[in-house]
Amino acid sequence: MTAPGCDRIALADLTDYTAGELSGPEAAAIEEHLFACADCAGRAAELDALVRAIPAAFRSAEVAGFVTDDVLNRLARDGVHVRTFVLSPGAVVPCAVWDDDEVMALRLRADFGDATEVTMTQRVEGNEVVRSTGRVTGSSPGEVIYTVPAAWIRDLPVVNVEVLLTTHEEGAERTIGSYTLAHGGRFLRSVRL
Amino acid sequence: MPDIQATLEAVSDEALARRIAAGPAGSTDLEESELYRRFAPRVRLYGRRHLRSNAGADDLAQEVLLLTIERLRAGEVQKLEQIGSFILGTSRMMCHSERRVVRRREALVARFGDTSIETAPPSLSSLDSGRVAACLRGLAERERLVLLLTYYAEREAPRIAEDLNLSPGAVRVIRHRAIAHLRDCVTGGGRP
Repeated sequence: MTAPGCDRIALADLTDYTAGELSGPEAAAIEEHLFACADCAGRAAELDALVRAIPAAFRSAEVAGFVTDDVLNRLARDGVHVRTFVLSPGAVVPCAVWDDDEVMALRLRADFGDATEVTMTQRVEGNEVVRSTGRVTGSSPGEVIYTVPAAWIRDLPVVNVEVLLTTHEEGAERTIGSYTLAHGGRFLRSVRL
Repeated sequence: MPDIQATLEAVSDEALARRIAAGPAGSTDLEESELYRRFAPRVRLYGRRHLRSNAGADDLAQEVLLLTIERLRAGEVQKLEQIGSFILGTSRMMCHSERRVVRRREALVARFGDTSIETAPPSLSSLDSGRVAACLRGLAERERLVLLLTYYAEREAPRIAEDLNLSPGAVRVIRHRAIAHLRDCVTGGGRP
């Protein structure tokens, strides 16, 4: 029996438990307590509900950000329509998403040198609309992957989107690559030729 | 007349088990439902941890609670004051058994009806996907990516660490912070 308001199991431990990253004895100790303590079991159930909501929220294609191939592969397994553009520095790429595309993935290729973090900015008609800083990942050397909800792209008018990758080195900003997405407006599958 | 369900919620786990054990079949439906409400989320969590399957965890919760009730009725649970331990032990046993799932499904549906009975705490039981998405957008890039790699791509810390050029310990710390931020946001206490 545990006292009301018991918080013997910290959120960090519950998080490690839900991530499957505790040793067998550590996990067993948490399980013993959860099955005897309604307060901690309630908090564990809340956390469980939260982490189970993450996939659905991400699949809803309302979240932009840096990802890796592991995430893109999972999207593909889930049947999410991903439109991918591979961009080398200086590229001007006609860009459009179809009416059934859900996510646009930009594979931005560049020589990252020793950079471990990059900042990506997107400008439309001179106005910065996106600025995001992410890690250079080891799984896809020579590129970073950034996903954008396709609905956001569909809503754009016919316009060029300037994409810039930079990194900070010794207090100064260095440009790694610049790219242009020439957005051609909304495409409808039904009128595709 | 007192609210019977509210009264049952105040009953200890042991007392609940005693009522089920003492009552004739069919006379303790409310007590059985209360036992299910209390323990099914714990068994589900256990199942997801060990079976890595939401559907498998749902099945496990039903099977474990059904077997628990049967054992209580048969007088085969020796230490009613440790009913939680009994349910955990049953979860472990059934989780390790491969002869599960299909053959008892009809009996389970007959007993528990809708298998999606909501047993999560009310504050997070009906999470709005749009709200969670908004809160994910509000996280730092690194926090969001670690959560996606953990709970969507189902990668463990060493793999994520290798990918992001971090130590596994750093990945865990980022994940702890990310979960705390996400929880605060979803429950209304934080960003976005």
